[in-house]
Amino acid sequence: MDFTVNEKNGVMVISPQGKIMGGPDATKLHDKLLELISQDKKRIVIDLSQVDWMNSTGLSILISAFIAIRDNQGELKLANVTERIGKLLEITRLTKVFEKFESVEKAVQSFG
Amino acid sequence: MSKIKRGKNIVSVPSSLDYLKEVDEFVETRLKSAGLDENKLADVAISVAEAVTNAVVHGNKCNLKKRVQVELKIESPRIIIKVQDQGNGFDPQNIGSPLEGNNVLKEAGRGIFILKSLMDEVDFSFEPEGGTVVRMVKYIKK
Repeated sequence: MDFTVNEKNGVMVISPQGKIMGGPDATKLHDKLLELISQDKKRIVIDLSQVDWMNSTGLSILISAFIAIRDNQGELKLANVTERIGKLLEITRLTKVFEKFESVEKAVQSFG
Repeated sequence: MSKIKRGKNIVSVPSSLDYLKEVDEFVETRLKSAGLDENKLADVAISVAEAVTNAVVHGNKCNLKKRVQVELKIESPRIIIKVQDQGNGFDPQNIGSPLEGNNVLKEAGRGIFILKSLMDEVDFSFEPEGGTVVRMVKYIKK
């Protein structure tokens, strides 16, 4: 699993690629998200279009970042949630926690 | 002791999440010959990653002297996977639901719930000399 970080109209867009399942790669993603939040980035979109699947470690990373940015008066949103990840969010009842958009552009625009 | 031990149906790794990738490669390589569709293959791969994570973190407490073994058998119409650690076991009845109240936003505690949701059968057994075995079954066509 690798990831890229881009800024679009003041919104940080994180795009992981591959499987988010724990281990050193997942730790790097988690650390990067927390680093951005500690740098006072208040608008983050995670683009899931290139994520094959994630397990509970991936969900933990999303939740940890969601809570950290919310506590910092910011927002984290998801874009391109695949059917497979959507199913995981559904069975863990996290689907109502995260705001989801069908594209990165729409997620970025939603910040206004 | 070699770090990763591989057999046709078995892989054994030290208790570190650094080896999850190798276990996943073993599982996906074996499953590609089983005729599983992509979604079921992902369900199994996610469940094995959950079970191995639990075995490493909660079972063996990340003790590198202890190992986690994954056995995968294709016995049509089902795939049977056993994940075994060398820890002290746990009470499966004593695990809170991740769906209750404030648990939804807890960072941990979803692993067993997820593998029970994605697999067709899941049971736990405890070896007399120590160690938990998680046995999971997925039906190839259901």
